[in-house]
Parts: sequence; C-alpha cells; structure tokens
Amino acid sequence: MRTLLLLVVCAPAFAAPVYEAARAILENRCAVCHGQAQTSGLDVRQRETILKGGKRGPALIPGNADESLLYKAVVHVGDLQMPPAKPLTAEEIEVIRAWINEGADWEGPAIGSKWWAFQAPVKPPVPEVSDTAWSRSPVDAFIWAKLGEKSLKPAPAADRRTFIRRASLDLHGLPPDPADVNNFVNDHAPDAYERLIDRLLASPRYGERWGRHWLDVVRYADTGGFETDMYYRNAWRYRDYVIQSFNADKPYDTFVKEQIAGDELWPDDLELAGGYEIPPTKLKHLEARIGTGMYTIGPTYHEAALNGAQLHYEWLSDAVDTTGEAFLGLTLACSRCHDHKFDPLTQRDYHRMMAIFAGSEEREIPVISKMDLFGFKSGYPANLRVEEYKEAIERIEKRSRDRATREIEARFSPEAVQAYEVALKDRTPKQMELAALLEQALTVAGLRENASGKMFVPQYTAQEKDDRERLIYELGKASLEARPTFPSATVLAHADVVPDVYMTSRGDFRPAGPKVSPGFPRVLGGVHDLEESANGPFVPERRRALALWLTSPDHPLTARVIVNRVWYWHFGRGIVGTPNDFGRQGEAPTHPELLDWLARNFVESGWSMKKLHRMIMLSNTYRMSSQSDESNFRIDPSNQYLWRMNRQRMDAEALRDSVLDVAGVLNLQMGGRPVIPPLTTEEKAVMWAPNQWPVSLDPMEHNRRSVYLYVKRSFPFPMFAIFDEPDTAVSCPRRDVTTVAPQALALLNSEFMERQARNLAARVQKTYPDDRDAWVRGAWQLALSRDPSPQEKEKALSFLDAASTKLDKLCLVLLNTSEFLSID
Amino acid sequence: MKNTDQFCGLCEKTVRASSRREFLEKAGLGFGMLGAGYLLARDADAATWTARASNPFAPKPPDFPAQAKNVIFLFMHGGPSHVDTFDPKPLLAKLNGKTPPPSFGKVDFQFTKMEKAPLLASSRTFRKYGQSGIEISDLFRQTAQFADDMAVIRSCYHDGFTHVLGQNWMNTGWARVGRPSMGSWVVYGLGNESENLPAFMVMLDGGIKAGAPAYGSGFLPAMYQGTVLRTDGAPILNVNRPEDIGAGEQRRMLDLLNWYNERHLETRQEDSQLAARMNSYELAFKMEMSVPELANLSQETVATRKLYGLDETETAEFGTQCLMARRMVERGVRFVQLYSGGNKGGSVGWDGHNQCDQNHTVMARRVDRPIAGLLADLKARGLLESTLVLWGGDFGRTPFTNGVEGGGQGQAGRDHNPYGFSVWMAGGGIKGGKVIGATDEIGLRAVEDKVHMHDLHATMLTLLGLDYRKLTYHFQGRDFRLTDVGGQNNLAPRLTQG
Repeated sequence: MRTLLLLVVCAPAFAAPVYEAARAILENRCAVCHGQAQTSGLDVRQRETILKGGKRGPALIPGNADESLLYKAVVHVGDLQMPPAKPLTAEEIEVIRAWINEGADWEGPAIGSKWWAFQAPVKPPVPEVSDTAWSRSPVDAFIWAKLGEKSLKPAPAADRRTFIRRASLDLHGLPPDPADVNNFVNDHAPDAYERLIDRLLASPRYGERWGRHWLDVVRYADTGGFETDMYYRNAWRYRDYVIQSFNADKPYDTFVKEQIAGDELWPDDLELAGGYEIPPTKLKHLEARIGTGMYTIGPTYHEAALNGAQLHYEWLSDAVDTTGEAFLGLTLACSRCHDHKFDPLTQRDYHRMMAIFAGSEEREIPVISKMDLFGFKSGYPANLRVEEYKEAIERIEKRSRDRATREIEARFSPEAVQAYEVALKDRTPKQMELAALLEQALTVAGLRENASGKMFVPQYTAQEKDDRERLIYELGKASLEARPTFPSATVLAHADVVPDVYMTSRGDFRPAGPKVSPGFPRVLGGVHDLEESANGPFVPERRRALALWLTSPDHPLTARVIVNRVWYWHFGRGIVGTPNDFGRQGEAPTHPELLDWLARNFVESGWSMKKLHRMIMLSNTYRMSSQSDESNFRIDPSNQYLWRMNRQRMDAEALRDSVLDVAGVLNLQMGGRPVIPPLTTEEKAVMWAPNQWPVSLDPMEHNRRSVYLYVKRSFPFPMFAIFDEPDTAVSCPRRDVTTVAPQALALLNSEFMERQARNLAARVQKTYPDDRDAWVRGAWQLALSRDPSPQEKEKALSFLDAASTKLDKLCLVLLNTSEFLSID
Repeated sequence: MKNTDQFCGLCEKTVRASSRREFLEKAGLGFGMLGAGYLLARDADAATWTARASNPFAPKPPDFPAQAKNVIFLFMHGGPSHVDTFDPKPLLAKLNGKTPPPSFGKVDFQFTKMEKAPLLASSRTFRKYGQSGIEISDLFRQTAQFADDMAVIRSCYHDGFTHVLGQNWMNTGWARVGRPSMGSWVVYGLGNESENLPAFMVMLDGGIKAGAPAYGSGFLPAMYQGTVLRTDGAPILNVNRPEDIGAGEQRRMLDLLNWYNERHLETRQEDSQLAARMNSYELAFKMEMSVPELANLSQETVATRKLYGLDETETAEFGTQCLMARRMVERGVRFVQLYSGGNKGGSVGWDGHNQCDQNHTVMARRVDRPIAGLLADLKARGLLESTLVLWGGDFGRTPFTNGVEGGGQGQAGRDHNPYGFSVWMAGGGIKGGKVIGATDEIGLRAVEDKVHMHDLHATMLTLLGLDYRKLTYHFQGRDFRLTDVGGQNNLAPRLTQG
C-alpha cells in the first residue's frame, strides 16, 4: 500500500491550466463589443481593464466567480445577460468559472517570473585572474574580478594571530586557546590553514555556534509567549537536533527534508518496537522526525485555544511564513492578506501553501523503545502512590477550608446560607440579595473558587499538621520512584481529519472565498495543484511533496538562500544583503555570479555545509585583513565589494560564552533541558509570573554555553536583550548591531561580569603565582590572543600599583576593551 | 473574496532614494546605519545625517511643527470599566438585572455569554465637571477637576478580548507579538533630547501580562526598547556600581579602558562603531550619576510630595511614579509609561471580573490623586503644553455581569470589553473640554466617531509632529507603520482646535 502511494506522489499528474481557454473565450465571444469598441466602458483585452470594469463597476473579482459581474452575466444571474445573441455553452461557462476562481491569471506560469531569483542558477565560468598568487580558490576569482571592475585593491592578508582568532570566533563563538594560537603562528607546514579549519570544523563547538545561527532563522524559543507563556517541554530536542545536524555535516537537503517532512519521508520507522535497543536506522529516522519540531515552537497564546479555527489558521500562517523566509528566502507573509505588492506571489499561493500544512498537527511521541515504554507502564505503583498522597494532603486542606467556611456562615442567617447554596443562575433577586454579603465575606477570605481575592491560608490542628508533614515526606519519597511521563519529542504528525483551506479576506481566519488545493507558489513553477487521490485510505503526504520540491537540485532558491546565509554569517554581510528576502524589495546581489557558482557547487558537493565553510574560509578573500585603505574607502566605504574583511562585534551569545571561557569556567556539557540561570531581584521584578523562571539548582549549569539557556518569549534574558538578541516572534535573518550605554553598564557593573573578572584574575594568579608581569601577559593572551605591548603592560602595572586596586579590576577593564569585543 | 488592492495603502512602492543612499556611503556613514529607510523617506539635511550616523539617538526635527514634545502614558493594567469612570450610561440603571435587549447585537467575550448575562448598573455617581461639563464618575473626582484640559474619547475599540491581546493592541497597534511599541516608534522617529537618560522609560508596579514586548522594540533595533526604571534596588539595570568599586576607582578604570581603546582605534579610524562604543562608556558613567539623581525625590518639597499623594499609603506608590514621570519629562525623556495594576503578590490590577465596583474603588483610590497631582504640577510648571498625558488600559469592561453561565465567576463583576471603551488625553497641544465619539446606550460598542487604536496612535504621532504615514521601518519585505493601514480618523486636527 505504501509503495503505491509513494509512486502517486513522486509522479504527479497535473491538471491543465485554464487561463488560455478563458482568454480564447473572452477574445472570441466578448471582444467584438468589449474590445476596441469598449461598449459601456468595458475592455476585456487586458486583465487590468477587466478588473477596472466599465460603467457597472469592476467586472472581475479574482478568486470569486459568484461575485464577479462577468460570471453573473454569462451565467445569466441578475439583469445583465451576456453575450446578448448567443449564450456561452455550459463548458465555456465552466472554464470562465474555474478561471476566475483560480485567480483569473492572464498568463502562465505567472507574471513577474523573469526575476533573477526565480530562475534556476546556472554555474558561471570562473573568471580569469591575472594575479594567480592572490587567487587561492574560485571564490577569490569572482571577488578579484569585481574588485578590478571597481578599481579596488584587496587588503593584504591578516596576520596569523588575527586569523586564528577570527576563525575561532566565527566557527565556535569562542576565542582560541593561547596554546593553539602559539602552535598556529609557528606552524610553517604548507597545510597549516587547512588543518586549522578542519580542526575547528571537527569540534562539537562548531555545531553549537552554527546551530544557534539556524535557531535565529526558525524563531526558536522554549515557550509560546504571551501571558501564560506556555512551556514547550520538548523544544530542546529540536535545538539539540539542529546542533547535532551541523556537527554531523548533515547534507543541507536532508536537513530541509527532515524539518519539513521527516515523518512522511521515512514513515516505516515510526514504530519503535523490536528489542531493548532502537536500531540505528530507526534512530536516524526518529531524529528526522524530531526535525519537524521546527513547526511546533512558534508563538502561541493560551486563549487562542478558545477558537479552534483561529488557532489552526494562526498556526498555518506561522508555518507558511517561517517556511517562506527560512527555506525560500521570500516574504510570503505579505500575501496572507492580499496579493504581494512587489513579488509575483498571490494570496492564493499563500493559501495553497497553507493547505500543504493543513493536514498536520503537533503530537508528542515516545523517543524510547517499546520495551522501555512498557517498562514505564510496569512502574505504575509508584505513580499511584504519588496520586494517593496528593489526594490525602488535599483532604486535610479541604477540612480546613470547610471549617473556615462554616465559621463564616455561622455569622449569617440560615436564609442567607440557604440562598448562597442555590446555584447563581437559579437565584431569585431576593436570594441574590441575601447571598451577597456572605459571598463577599467568603471571597475576602479566599474561600470561593475562581473568585479573585486573598489567598486562603489554611489553619491546621496539631494532629492535621503532623499528618500533613508525614504525607508530604511520603509524597516526596514516592515521587523519587515514580515515572509519570516517558521521554518524548514534540513533532508533526497527520491529523485524523484534513481540514479544507479556503481563501480568506485581509488575513482574517474565517473562510471568505473558494476552497484552495495544496500547491507551491505559481511563479516558482507550482502552476498546478498537488495531485492527490480523492478517495482511498491514504493520508495525503503534502509536506513530503514540498520537501522534495524544495530540495530538487534545480530549485531556484533553496541553495542560493542557504549559501547566502553562510556567507553572511562568515562576513557579516550577505551577497544578497537581505537573507530572508530574495524578492524585489530585497537587495540585489553584489556578486550574482559568485552566488550562483557557490549555490551550484554546494549542490554538486552533496549539500555539505562543512565543505562550503572550507571553501570560503580557505580563500584569500576570507584571509584579508580588516584594515582600511584610503583610496579603497573613497570608492566603496561600506565595503560592499569586499576589498577587506568586515570588522564585526561579538553577538550576545559569543560575548557571554567568550567571557566564561576566558574566565576558565565555561561548562562544555552539551544538550538537554534548557538551563535557567539565576536573575537579580531587579531583573526578576518585571516578570509577570516570577514562578515561570525555575532556576537550575546546580550552579555548574549556570556556566553552560548560551545556546542551552532558556529562551522565554515574554522575557528575554536581560544580558542578551541588551546585546541585540533577536525577537522570537518571526524568523530573524540578520542581527542588528547597536552600540548603546546599557551595554557599557552591563559590562562594567553587572554581577556576572564582576564574577567572571574575578575568575579570570584567579586563573592567571594561580598559573603564575607572584609574577605580576606574567599575570598581565596571561590575561592578555587569554582575552586578546596576544601578548601586551610594553606600553600596555606598563600601563597595566601602574594601574595595579595604585592603592587597593586588585587584578580583577584590570581583568574587568580588559573584558570591556573594544579589542575584546570586536573581531578583526 | 474582496479585492483588497484599493485599501492597502501601506504597500505603495517606496521610492528608493538611491542618490541619498549613495551620498551616505560616500560620506562614510555606512550601510548599517539605523533607520536609514525612514530618514531617506524624509527630506533630512546633511547635518541630520551626520548627527544620526554618530549617534542614532540624535534629536531629529519633526515632519511638521510639533504640539507635543513628550508623552506620559498612564496604563491601567487589567482594563478599567468605562461605564464606571468616563462613560455614563443612565440606561443601565433602568435595565439593571435584565439581559441585554437583542437590539444591541451579539459579540464574543472571554468568559461571558452575553445573551444570558444580566446588565449591571454602575454604582458610581457621575457629575459634570468644569466649564465644559464633561461627565466623570466619583472614582476620578480629583482628576476630573481637569476636565477642561481633557479630551475624553469614548469610542475606542479593537478586537482583542484577552489581556495580552488588548495590551498589545494598545501598545503596539497589533494583537500579536513582534511589533514595536509606541514609545519605540516615537524615539525612532524623534530621537532623544536627554544626554544622559534613556529616551523611553517605563515604570511598573509589578509584572504585566503582555511582558516585555509591551514596551519592547519588536522588529526595530533593540536600542529603541523601553528601559524599566525601578523604585527598589538599582533604578536602571546595572546602573549601580559593584559595591567594592568606588566612583574614583571606576573613573580610573575608565581612563585605563579609554587609553587601550584609543590605541586600538588608532589604526581603525574609519570605524564609527568603535568611537560610538567609547562614547557609550562616557554616557554610562554619566548615567551612574544622572539616574540616581533622577530617582532621588528628596529635593522635592513637602508640598509637591503631598500634591502627588506621597503622604498616604494608598497613593504613595503610583504618586511616586507620577512624580518621577514629571522629573523625567523635565530632563528630556521623550516617552514615559506608567503602569498601575501589575502583578505583585497576586494582585489582579484593574481586572474587575469579580466585584468590579469594589475592585475599581481600591484601584482608583491609588491613582486618582496622583494623576490629578501630576496634571496640576505639569500645568503649574508650564510643562503640560508640551507634554501629552494619555490615560487608558487593555480595554473597557462589559455593561453586564461577568461569566454567568460562563466561567463560574462572581457576582457584580464585569468581563473584558474591547468593542467600546474610553481613553483620555490632556496637554500636548490639546484644547481640552472635549468629548469625542460615543458608545451605544449600554456602553457595549463604540458607535459614533469610532476611534481604533490606529487612529489613537495616528493622533499621538501627529501631536508629536510626525506624519504617521511616513514613519516606517522596512522589515519582512515591506515598510511597516505603527498605524498599519489605519489612522484615517486622526483626531489631532480636531483636538488642537479651540
């Protein structure tokens, strides 16, 4: 059965388009009067003029035949009946109807398809380079050619210290170890650079750094945002999946396929029975499913659940928007409410994409073998004991409540008590009045359910107090044995019912137009709907079709978009300056041929990210110094054409991780539940519900890498918020880099920085006891990957000479320097 | 399906001022300059460009002469009932206990099925105040003394019927998260006039339900987000030096830092970011002085402290916020937002689901005197003319009782009502004594001269001298506005006329 289905999806049979037939009918049957003659002001020879209409107003409402004057006229609904002499045949009417309902396109595949980003990239020839010594790789040839065109001269190579610091911060988000700096500077083997890059790429620190980049793109967070800020208990599994994928150099096409349709592509491996161990192939496919977690971590507000249809529509919107920006580099979001104003993307395209996700829903699945799962079930007695102890404790609390209620009731008349016991909706006005004061007294005491008043504080007898304490102790013991929930992942699965998707109006969730079938944006070749079996037991595998389409080697956007992102993360600027917008509102590529060459080469190299990094980082372009040059600067001040390396500021995570690393306390433990670091009282004071920040109890955890910290949508981690951490509402293509006083305050005065400066001071003092020169040198090497100059050292030592000044103050200064914060 | 082309004015193609962009780059200001899109759209002169490049907060000229320079936004967290405060509904008294007549239509609420919910008369007494005779209830009898300075807008509406949606609508002009807040837009548009204080400051009396996004910068750069000013502990995060570092020692540290940074800069002169970073340390050092100075109320006279209600337990907290707000405005802080009713120890704020009248009596008692004090003080100091004071909340409340048949909540409560509610404005060029718009006879829905949040925001921006249609930021492939495609009912021209 499965095989059959796969065949159907792999070889879709497409229905014929209707625009040509419709145009023929208009030309043959209508244009005689409504052509050049423009009878009653209507001209049917152009889509625009039909839209504009004639004396009676617009003749056409794309997507809605029933409301279109043109259709009403040919079908003879209402007073206008056309053509007057000989009505259209039933077949012709059906063509007109279908054409209007499908959006009334005038030509195929779609207007505007000539835009460069919508053409499959063609691998251009690598330009000839006159200075072959400079050109180390094809990347250099493209850059060199453009520099020549603009009369720009490339900057000389950066020195080795600068290079290893740049490459380490780039690939790991951490400065290099002083010993590694020393080794590299003195490594005169011809392949020194190659071995450095390979070593950096092989370290798990690489996945932590580059996984974090991807998490920006997929708007990662551990909670849903808004008031209750629901906790997504398995979001971290997706985060770990991303990190592992980068570390394993998972081919990017696989990475895309897994996130969109891991479940649909490897459906046979969803059953985890058959032994104590899950076999490796199944583990691999389980991992693929966890990739679909990408669609379960978007913003969701609690009360959205009050309206199922709206909740579903918002979820679909988030799925389409994120898919569009992350994989296609297109701002589909514009076309939720109306046809895109700048790109040939229609509201219908948007809803076709929605329909792809419409049959999917979030589900929690076990990530352990069936044997282990049964093991959980066999451990049930401890779970029951937990329940029993909880209920026993609640009974004691209820006794106290009941006593307090009776005491208050005793102060009122029996009539009032009686009236109060009548259900609110059945009370007579007299009863209302009688019950009111009692109700108020109970509210004040916190004794009415759901009523907002003071919290009830139970009073226990000595016996109750003893019993309760014993029960709480027993509850604790039982909890240690109990296993209430099994380890799970939150993934996409097929819904039991696949809801239809309808055109909507201005982004409102309520259907306001015809039903829409699943499909891809027409301008990208998705002229036809996805073919699906209308009957039969099959679940439509729409995401699978989307994943395969996106990862086809000739897709015009997928490879270009990711190589551009990688370029941006390396250089601080993309070849296309707007990594999430390859449309007409985005910036034009500075090096279109290079972009296409890289995209093609990427696909030919098996979509390998690590090969791409190697290609870029071993180029002379990447090796250039960031030093400016007057004549170049006059021509290209913003360094669009890369005549030098861009200087970058550490981002929030690199900054925190580097400080911890330099201080010698970074905990390199990988993966697992989010780490929740402590907050100061001031930081915590503005949180709506401070109990939503349960601090990790193991202090060692607080020094974990930043990628593992709790990402709470309604409360950004304060230090990150100051350093331009992205908003997690939607995909973030590139981070802002701002320079403001609160950053200086945080780096000078925060408890965190003070502690780490002390740690750094202790670290160098321990390594070089009683040698102040060595302290300064050690601190410089750790923080700046170099020795201090004689003047710098002298300045540092005279600072230390001042009364009461300790080494930790010098370390704090060092961690505040522009040099520490910036990457040359 | 409607053809939406004709009413999506936002998506008009923006003309790319390439020559200007080129000029910027020639001038060495770089592609990363913040807010360039907006400035490109405005015909700013070279001096503005240069100032903006070295300091993105540099004050910017408005689009046209401004009436207001500053805003103080008093936010009643939880949603104050309009029918008990600024929108009297005598019919409610007549229909008390009866279900709403079907003629008022049916709408959805969070907990209440309105066809089964008995109408609830207000227990408040309304009186006409001032020469204008605006009717205001006794909950705000002191604030009401300024009726002739106020424009009461009784026809506000949006469609977010839960707190976070309401708070997002009011603050960011959009129900969901991700959009910049009003304060961020204003600072983005006008810059900062203060040299040593943040331009957008927020004071809270507890956590708010919408959280940081209510005063966040959304898709604008993070530097435009609101800074929380506290009355306990460090007034601004990290503004207090660590205990073991004295001012003298920190100065020496900064001098050393400067010395190193200058060496670093020597070979990197072209990088304006490095110079900006060095400046930011000097500004930080100034803030360590200016912020405690701002927060120190000891220089205020006994009479002033009394005016704001600092002498009474109930009014001391909000009074302190209001007094700080005046001090901030005096020091050039552009946008101040004060919250009443945040969560501290389980407080529900203005969320009167249960015993609404009791709840509002307590809450209004806390804010009425401080607000009146603020208005009086601003007026006396000549600051009210240039300071727009805005009062509002998440939404209004229902004219009927809360949750009968719905959530099992208590008697005499009122549910959330975003379909019609009141806000008021004073100062900032407004000629007071005006009532704008009306709700229906029971206060369920705005019916006359309706004012959407986009209209309210357009009004505010106009008073500040900003053209709400031009204040845009390019994001996700299009130019976003605070007012989205709305703002057509911009009240500013009417409010500023006598």
